Amino acid sequence: MPLVRLVNVTKRFGKIVALDGINLSIKDGEYVCILGPTGAGKTTLLRIIAGLLEPDEGEIYIGEKRVNGVPPEERNAVYMFQNFALFPHMNVWQNVSFGPVIKEWSPQKIRNVTSEVLGMVRLGERRDAYPNELSGGMQQRVALARGIAAGARILLLDEPFGALDARLRVNLRTQLRSLVKDQGLTTIHVTHDQEEALMVADRIVILREGRIEQIGSPQEIYNNPQSIFVMSFVGGANFIDGVVSNMDNSGSTVEIRGRLYIRVSDTTKKIGERVVVAVRREDVSLGKSRRRDFNNLVGEVEDAMFVGGSMEYMVRLENGMSISSRILLEGGSKVFRKGDIVIVSFHPDECRVFPYPERGLLKEIEAI
Amino acid sequence: MTVKPKRTSFFSKLVVSCTLIAFMIFVIIPTFYLISYVFIRWDEVWREVFANPIIGDENWKQIIKVLLFSFRLSISTVAFDLIFGIPLAYVLARKRFPGKSLLEDLVTLPLVMPTSGFGFATLITWTTVAGLGGLLGLRSGLLSLNAVMPFINVPVVLFIVHIALTFPYVVRTLETKIQSIDMTYEIASRTLGASSLTTFRNILFPLALPGIFSGAVLAFARSLGETGATLIVSGVSTTASIAIVRWTSEFKLSTAAFMGSLLVIIAWTIILPAEIYVSRGRRSSGLSLHLPVNLTRRMVELEKLISRKLYFIKDIVPLIIVVVTVIIPIAVVLNSVILYWSADPYTGKIEGGVVYQLFGPSNYFSSLLNATLTSIIVAIVSTYIATCISIPVSFIIERRWYGRIIRTILKVPLIIPTSSLGLSVLLLWGSSGLNLVNSGIWMIILTHIVFSVPVIVESIIAAYEGSGIQMYEESARTLGATAYNAIEAVSLPLIKGGIFTGFILSFTRSLGETGATFIVMGRDVTIPVLVVNMVEALAIPAALFTSTYLIILSLVMLAIVRIFTGR
Repeated sequence: MPLVRLVNVTKRFGKIVALDGINLSIKDGEYVCILGPTGAGKTTLLRIIAGLLEPDEGEIYIGEKRVNGVPPEERNAVYMFQNFALFPHMNVWQNVSFGPVIKEWSPQKIRNVTSEVLGMVRLGERRDAYPNELSGGMQQRVALARGIAAGARILLLDEPFGALDARLRVNLRTQLRSLVKDQGLTTIHVTHDQEEALMVADRIVILREGRIEQIGSPQEIYNNPQSIFVMSFVGGANFIDGVVSNMDNSGSTVEIRGRLYIRVSDTTKKIGERVVVAVRREDVSLGKSRRRDFNNLVGEVEDAMFVGGSMEYMVRLENGMSISSRILLEGGSKVFRKGDIVIVSFHPDECRVFPYPERGLLKEIEAI
Repeated sequence: MTVKPKRTSFFSKLVVSCTLIAFMIFVIIPTFYLISYVFIRWDEVWREVFANPIIGDENWKQIIKVLLFSFRLSISTVAFDLIFGIPLAYVLARKRFPGKSLLEDLVTLPLVMPTSGFGFATLITWTTVAGLGGLLGLRSGLLSLNAVMPFINVPVVLFIVHIALTFPYVVRTLETKIQSIDMTYEIASRTLGASSLTTFRNILFPLALPGIFSGAVLAFARSLGETGATLIVSGVSTTASIAIVRWTSEFKLSTAAFMGSLLVIIAWTIILPAEIYVSRGRRSSGLSLHLPVNLTRRMVELEKLISRKLYFIKDIVPLIIVVVTVIIPIAVVLNSVILYWSADPYTGKIEGGVVYQLFGPSNYFSSLLNATLTSIIVAIVSTYIATCISIPVSFIIERRWYGRIIRTILKVPLIIPTSSLGLSVLLLWGSSGLNLVNSGIWMIILTHIVFSVPVIVESIIAAYEGSGIQMYEESARTLGATAYNAIEAVSLPLIKGGIFTGFILSFTRSLGETGATFIVMGRDVTIPVLVVNMVEALAIPAALFTSTYLIILSLVMLAIVRIFTGR
């Protein structure tokens, strides 16, 4: 039984369609990331689940109940803003006990619940502090405690680490995930950071221009992207424009710019069809000699960057195209310099082939 | 936008409609009644203004003359304010120096000071031997009351008073605006090789233009509507606002109403374009784009020279203006009270001393006590009622689609001359209108509510918009609070400071108001009116004492504001 279910949810702001027929089911206790570029409709989706916005069309269910028109305070879905929205005029204790007090529980129960929850997030000592006296991490824990104390079943996180610096983000991500999982909360987490989504989510929903582009586990999304957009947005890749020129049982041949040919394992396209061949950067290797059964192209190293543990190369091929490669530095692996002539190799099995997009290749991979 | 749940929607509708009704009755109708009065009684107005059987259209000629004079005065005041206010605002916004907060207070002082007391102080300073004249060893005042400024042809003392009273509007509005502009733009411009003056012209000026605009509008309106000080220092000249007071007391109601409604309409035609301009946030692209390159280069050179050599002008001259227009008058009054305490220092007569006038046969002391009581009751009651209306109105302004309209309408009572506001209230509630309230303390309260609401609303809205309330409220809602709970537990505490500041501002404004009070007061006299009465009765020492009393009262108010706003 899914806990949160959206059926055909559509929302417009004037002429802009923010959400266009969203269908989504989220299981009890699941941690779902909604991933997409700015303006994809992520926050709108979250606000609709919280009850802060009403959809123009479609239905929302929480548990068995249809909640269209039900005010936010009756949905048990706590919304956590980017800066956590801790009430600045209340101390930690008052913030955390806000839900219980508002719901008029008995004083005894309010005390018990609040101190229990504060202990859970290890902030019992700071109960008298005001939000501006706490670090970003502590604020986040208070916000979480406040939600749990209010009896939340669903946690809605809107870019929860957006305001924090990079190192803290990584720590807090895992901390938040384990806290949430311990509590058995269902979490819907909106982010535009693909790394963050891959790290914490049980399932990722890729949203683009108000529509769901793909839903799947992080591995599925990364290893089996269904579109150029998803592949480019999650992980990134080299995209090569070409035409299928030949096909047999073991694969097809794609002609690319400068009369060069790439061998791919895919056989689902037709001869003469315009396609895009995509190869992950880490699947592209560089060397001094050609590799058997690989695609081998000659090029000149245009740029070489050390990114800690691996090297990133930008290689200009003889037909003028650029291709990038990421190579893990292991003992004895050769480091190339700018100007070196190298052989770029990648295996036909690592090539994914997509039909050429209607709106052009650039449209699918730009603005991310 | 927050979703209004069905169950509470009845309750919220009730609150909204009650608020809007109270708002209509207490603020909107009194503001605009004057115009409808003119329409309803057009025959009467026509007969009195344009076709009087005895004097013909003499009243119309008077109106034109008064309006022209008022506009000349207000426009030259604003021009002066801008020339010296812009540099001062820049210095206050961008520089740190010892005594900065003191300077800010001094600039703000005329805002909280009852104007009749301040007008009197200026009068003493410039035109009597007790003031600057005496200090410089002259036998008379430095200036005659009717000495006229060259070119603009307005009396000097009147001009000085108007500058002092309007300067804070330009400086403080612009200071806030400049503070909100990211300093990095200026730094970028300087590092790209522009001198400070060139930077100002090309970067800061275009960005701050909305602030300059709204400051100028406020200053203009203030000058146009100023009554208290103007009554005291105007001499033989008549401005629009004091003409309304005078004509009302001469029972030329139709003429006064007609000119009052002209002023309301003029106020509208000034605000609307300014509002639209500011709300669009349009950015002008600086003046240099329209100039030929040659000229621009010469200008940049010149500006470089000026920036280097003449920087002290921008720092020193505004300071002198503040000293001359604000500090000296106050000092002179305080000094004079001491000099005149027991007897007139020049003639030696005790009849000319403060003590004699206060406790002697004229017994001004008991008038002063009565006036204090009246003033304080009026200020407390009107501010309290205005606050009760303002809080829900501010919420409506922020949350409903028609909020913008209400906010624009609210600018009108803020900038039309209070005397025409008073006339409007008198005609609406008084014996020639609904006949519900007689002239006196209750009508003063009704009048003060009209201009207190916009003051408090502006201050609440500033607090509201600065604190991200919507987010906190939404948070509270998802934590289980109803819409009502969220407002009570989260929003109201967050805007508490704004409410309090608004309360004090409106309290001081009510305490110092003269123009409207004159018209609606009947037999109840407030302190600022008492000062005018004393000056007219030539009871100068008593007026000195009362002015001092008012100035001290307003200093206390300013101190309270500073303590609570923590600025």
